[in-house]
Amino acid sequence: MPSDYVLTIISNIGMISLIALSAYLLLVTGQISFGQQAFFGISAYAGAIATTLWGWPFWLALIFGSGIAALAAGFIGLLTLRISGMYFSIATLAFAEMIRLSLFKLTYQIEIDGELIGPNGAGGFGEIRWIFDHNISVLEYTLLIYTVLLLVLVGMVLLERSRLGMIFRMLGGDALLTRTQGLNPVRYKIIAAVIAGFIAGLGGTLYAHSFTYIEPQIFNVMLGVHSLAYGLIGGLGTVLGPLIGVAIDIGFLESIRIFQGYRMIVFGGLVAVMLIFMPRGILDEARVHWIKTVVRRWFNA
Amino acid sequence: MLKVENIITRYGAIEALKGISLEAQHGEVTCLLGPNGAGKTTTMFTIAGILNSHSGSITLDGDDLTHQSAPAIVRKGIALVPENRLVFPEMSVADNLAAGAYCRSRSERAAIDQDLTEMYDRFPQLKERREQLGGTLSGGEQQMLAIGRALMARPKILMMDEPSLGLAPLIVDQIFKIIQQLNEEGVTILLVEQNAHMALKIAHKLYLLEQGTVTFEGTPAEMQQEELIQRAYLGTGD
Amino acid sequence: MTDFVQNCIDGLMFGSGYALLALGFTLVFGVMKRLNLSYGPSIMLGTYAGTWVYLNITDNAWLVALATVIATITVGIYVERLCFRAIRHGSTIASMVSSFAIWMQLEEVALHLLPERTYPFPAFFTATTFEFGPFYARSEHITMLLLTLVLLVLLHVFLFKTRPGLALRSVSDNPLASAYMGINNSNILFLAFALVSVLGGLAGFLILSADTQVTPFFGLWATFKGLIAMMLGGMGSLPGAILGGLLLGIVEANAFWYGGAVMRDLSAYLLLFVMLIVRPGGLMGQKIVAEQRAADERV
Repeated sequence: MPSDYVLTIISNIGMISLIALSAYLLLVTGQISFGQQAFFGISAYAGAIATTLWGWPFWLALIFGSGIAALAAGFIGLLTLRISGMYFSIATLAFAEMIRLSLFKLTYQIEIDGELIGPNGAGGFGEIRWIFDHNISVLEYTLLIYTVLLLVLVGMVLLERSRLGMIFRMLGGDALLTRTQGLNPVRYKIIAAVIAGFIAGLGGTLYAHSFTYIEPQIFNVMLGVHSLAYGLIGGLGTVLGPLIGVAIDIGFLESIRIFQGYRMIVFGGLVAVMLIFMPRGILDEARVHWIKTVVRRWFNA
Repeated sequence: MLKVENIITRYGAIEALKGISLEAQHGEVTCLLGPNGAGKTTTMFTIAGILNSHSGSITLDGDDLTHQSAPAIVRKGIALVPENRLVFPEMSVADNLAAGAYCRSRSERAAIDQDLTEMYDRFPQLKERREQLGGTLSGGEQQMLAIGRALMARPKILMMDEPSLGLAPLIVDQIFKIIQQLNEEGVTILLVEQNAHMALKIAHKLYLLEQGTVTFEGTPAEMQQEELIQRAYLGTGD
Repeated sequence: MTDFVQNCIDGLMFGSGYALLALGFTLVFGVMKRLNLSYGPSIMLGTYAGTWVYLNITDNAWLVALATVIATITVGIYVERLCFRAIRHGSTIASMVSSFAIWMQLEEVALHLLPERTYPFPAFFTATTFEFGPFYARSEHITMLLLTLVLLVLLHVFLFKTRPGLALRSVSDNPLASAYMGINNSNILFLAFALVSVLGGLAGFLILSADTQVTPFFGLWATFKGLIAMMLGGMGSLPGAILGGLLLGIVEANAFWYGGAVMRDLSAYLLLFVMLIVRPGGLMGQKIVAEQRAADERV
């Protein structure tokens, strides 16, 4: 039985993978978003409020939090339709910071059992007690996280093979080309934004309940850039790419004592180097294609 | 004299220039003719040092320019008037001309100022518009600016890539008169053109480039006698 | 009403600092058509060097300023080599993300160099307050404004009256044509980075001496303020950078007065967000160049 410490790392990998997948999805469609942490955060607060203040069941809170995040993502997607490239990226950054700062102003407290519970601006939102109230062990919650992650992965693999997935990749390759195929990029950009927002949202609610305390500072630019970097390092050719990126950072760098205090230096440098030599990551489209060909040949032999 | 010998230039795996040779004599107008995609601009770029040749040599008066950088080649005396002019749109006419003299050393200050005055005398339209931004000039004016800018480098050879492109026929006439006049004053010109009629009028020597190879070289008179060429490029003959 | 005007006055003075930062972003963007998101942290490390000199070597403000500028240039070169020169031409987004990653790296380096939360920074100016009518201004801020103006004039002279300035403008305008003129794009890029490092180092020094302290948040702060100011004015426009900085200063000063610190920062981002959506070209209405349409561009 792995120790709680190891389980915590594993569950962190799981939750952060969700926001990494969210950024990855948008990357595939050619949109670089520095702001997925906003949806992660919105859902964290919304989901936590649902269980802690309103007494909702977890699964409902999860859908609720992710749903609101998805709506917000769709809304932002709509607003940023006309802008692309660097302008889009900076706009996502601005939006995420606006959300983070707004959370400093969010005060919504209810008295429960004689205590004031709820988000309290800069004071954060503590006592997200769902795990304790329902006697969920660390192992059980980790399994819950990975169940959600697995479902998301299955969904994304299916998406990858579907027509929609193909359109997404086309969008990432050449938006103009997409238009000439009679497809309206607008619609697909929004769909991608909503799905990405939902996935980030799933991670957010799970995160809030795992850490039992959240504050606006958590959902900052660093988190956003990290999410983006995971896909860029692990590879944009497959959903496993961002997971590899997360594993390298949290599984390897964060856990190994030597890197203590130097994690960012190593990680930041790694991203910069990757962007020079392997701009689409370790498992980029070309490599994934090669692997598939090799595997196929092996099976046919 | 500019001597280009057996130049092969590649774009990745594709050979754009398959071993071309040409010579541009001092004081003459040498013209490269050919259809789109023949490799005319590639040739210009290779000579100017913007592209690296795979093999072959380029020499100017015995000086080997083959693998020199673009700035070095400009300093050695080859100035390019690029296709589509490429004036600096956000900079004034005066600044554009000053940029042309960039590679000349600081000690030539007085000479540069003198050249500038001469340029304004030669192109009074530019003088009128000294402070105007390059991007706001008309096509013909931009072409004059591009030529003037290249001349500011006091080049031994002036290379011009399709100076007639995108210009109205009247303006084309004007530009070619300027080119002719420049040559009469002693400027050596290497010209790339699709407009065969114009080229025949002012060139001393012609090279026909097709699909990366030189398929004909000779004087305008000789070219007019070649029937195939007549039909393909000049629209004359039976 | 007096409050509003006072805020505007304060805003103008803070805005001049933002304008300097924005100029740094703009110059680099002009030459390379890419954003350098490590600009703030580079300046911060520069000011850290200055702080170190101040704490360990000398009180002399000029030497501290010199140390700041030299250190900023050094870090600037590191960023230029790794994030910009090494990345192939055209990958504007890759450079932006790379510089963001290096920003993370630099922030951690800063944390290791000076682990405390705040350090004293030399006060370059004596602190007095000037009053005129119902309004007042602190001398440090006035000096900052004046010095900013001096720097602007110097920058203008450099860009428009010198040969390297001409080369820089040519490369910003059309790199291909510049190559034909014999202008070495790599050298000009290096020059641009050195120039903005000097500007940034000086800006950092001025801002921090007005504050008389330096904190690890400065890097992030400088990046965002400069970035917002630049984008408000219009990416790539030098006058835009100045206008954007001043606008940002005024909006922030008023937001702070009427709403507090969170409101101040929130309004800055809101302003940026709205500007990007409604008029991405900024105040100066810069045309969005085709190269920047990275919707079709892969990372």
